[in-house]
Amino acid sequence: MPQMKSDPLLDAKQAAFLGGPVAINVASHDAAQIPSIARAYGCRISADRREVVVFLSKRCAQAILRDLAAGAPVAAVFSRPKTHETLQIKGARGRIQPLQAGDRAIMRACGAAFSAEIMLLGYSASFSDALMAPANDDAVGVAFMPDAVFEQTPGPKAGMRLEPKP
Amino acid sequence: MTPSLRSLRRCFEGAVPASIATCSPDGMPNVAKLSHVHFLDDAHVALSYQFFNKTRENILHNARATVEVVDPVSAIHYTLWLEYLRTETEGPLFENMKARLAAIASHTGMSKVFRLLGSDVYRVLGVEAVPGEANPETSARVDLLSGLRACLGELTACADLAHLLDVMLAGLERHWDIRHSMLLMLDPDGKRLYTVASRGYAESGVGSEVRVGEGIVGVVAGARTPIRIGYAVQEYRYSQATRRRFADSADGEALETEIPFPGLAEAGSQLAVPLMLGDRLLGVLYVESPLEQRFTYEDEDALVVLAAHLALSIDFLSRAAEHPAEASAKLIAVAVSEPHGIPVQIRHFPADNSVFVDNQYLIKGVAGAIIWKLLREQAETGRAEFTNRELRLDASLKLPDVTDNLDARLILLQRRLAERCAFLAIEKTGRGRFRLNVTRPLQLGQSTGN
Repeated sequence: MPQMKSDPLLDAKQAAFLGGPVAINVASHDAAQIPSIARAYGCRISADRREVVVFLSKRCAQAILRDLAAGAPVAAVFSRPKTHETLQIKGARGRIQPLQAGDRAIMRACGAAFSAEIMLLGYSASFSDALMAPANDDAVGVAFMPDAVFEQTPGPKAGMRLEPKP
Repeated sequence: MTPSLRSLRRCFEGAVPASIATCSPDGMPNVAKLSHVHFLDDAHVALSYQFFNKTRENILHNARATVEVVDPVSAIHYTLWLEYLRTETEGPLFENMKARLAAIASHTGMSKVFRLLGSDVYRVLGVEAVPGEANPETSARVDLLSGLRACLGELTACADLAHLLDVMLAGLERHWDIRHSMLLMLDPDGKRLYTVASRGYAESGVGSEVRVGEGIVGVVAGARTPIRIGYAVQEYRYSQATRRRFADSADGEALETEIPFPGLAEAGSQLAVPLMLGDRLLGVLYVESPLEQRFTYEDEDALVVLAAHLALSIDFLSRAAEHPAEASAKLIAVAVSEPHGIPVQIRHFPADNSVFVDNQYLIKGVAGAIIWKLLREQAETGRAEFTNRELRLDASLKLPDVTDNLDARLILLQRRLAERCAFLAIEKTGRGRFRLNVTRPLQLGQSTGN
């Protein structure tokens, strides 16, 4: 159910988590319900936490951008390598938009934070750099209103739908 | 260009988590992280089914899934377009994935969370490389193919089983820098394996046993599939405690637990490969390393080829040993020195054929029965020369049919004697022939108790 003018679905802690050192993967599907998937390079949460914008490289995300342009829904998973803490957010529709002022800086900062995190886990600097290189690609934002948030950290609560706390 | 699935095998090591997208009947996409994608063959992968989650609910309605995997060296991403086919809950694929999942779980502190319920098999409809920058750094590699060639070349020159096993384990170290290895043979009861040769351990552990289904070697024997683990895993380690537990509950003859299994206390990487002769399991070749992620898919390939060759060689040499060569006059002419010194007491317990030397445990089972027969025969007739064939034909030994590798039993006995009693030795005197050398006087005693 879309949220009326009640509390936003995302709380402040979750919003901070989405902007942290997380791996982001975004999915959609085509008219034949064949899923598409791509890595995102950073995200921006609006001040009121009612809109999430994930950044996709145009050359790396061709299939999903085509599906989103056709009006298909969007799902995005955010997972922190160090803790396995994972959240999935879904939206009925993803709106493709050009990068705004400051978005490129967010992409680079998210990439750097993620690189630093996985290097602490033992990945090499050259691997981390290559992994996050598309943060410098020609990119777009995919903006959506979260309709549902799911706990996806491995464990007994995985898959649980999270409701806004009063 | 479409890359082959085989060329992407590094992506399936579980080093970088993959992601899966599915679609629900009402058209809502779902995206989740995957601990690992299992490479099955050039047209199939398998995913672990651990919980009944949204991904699973979705693929049961709409079989199409799209997975993104990451090469842990180049960082290149690949999209796999998949179609769900079936779920396996037992058998080689399931056992293999269970072992690898346990390794990843243990590595990531998730042992209590990850549990394999099934292996979901998917057909791979398409593979696509995602554009991106490849990490130019590549990992240094040993040349496995030339090492394999060198190993096989050395095996060809071996005329008896003991030599073959030693040359093979030495070859693993020399050509592949694999420093800890052992070969276990399957007991004809099909329930246990016994160590016949090892390399790289303080104690050889020859004669030690593991139960089929227990630990990585036992699981490989049970499922008849190679298993490779890149992290330290509690579940697949051998501890005396678990072996005793199994020994206590063992049906039929008890498991050999007096001789400790020779494995590393903390193996970071383990690889076990079954030795198959057609559909018959001969044994398991096991290698390990203190380093994590030591063995790659390519190491596994090379060891599987080596194991196939080894199985044929073992079978060939064992069959040859059943037909003794003409005794060599030169060897027979060698004077056997008269036993001298303090007499040694040897006791035999018929219940399990265990043999004790001055109250110290030596061996039991088939090898125990053999040494007891040889000692008795020598005491009664003074004979020192024997053939494999007469042991095979001796009904009192209750040897199983030819599927039991008698030569491997003799090697086990020979090595156990060499480690435990310097005054008793089995010496090969030709194909299918050996001599029992006794250099101290013996007092043989049969115990009726157990």
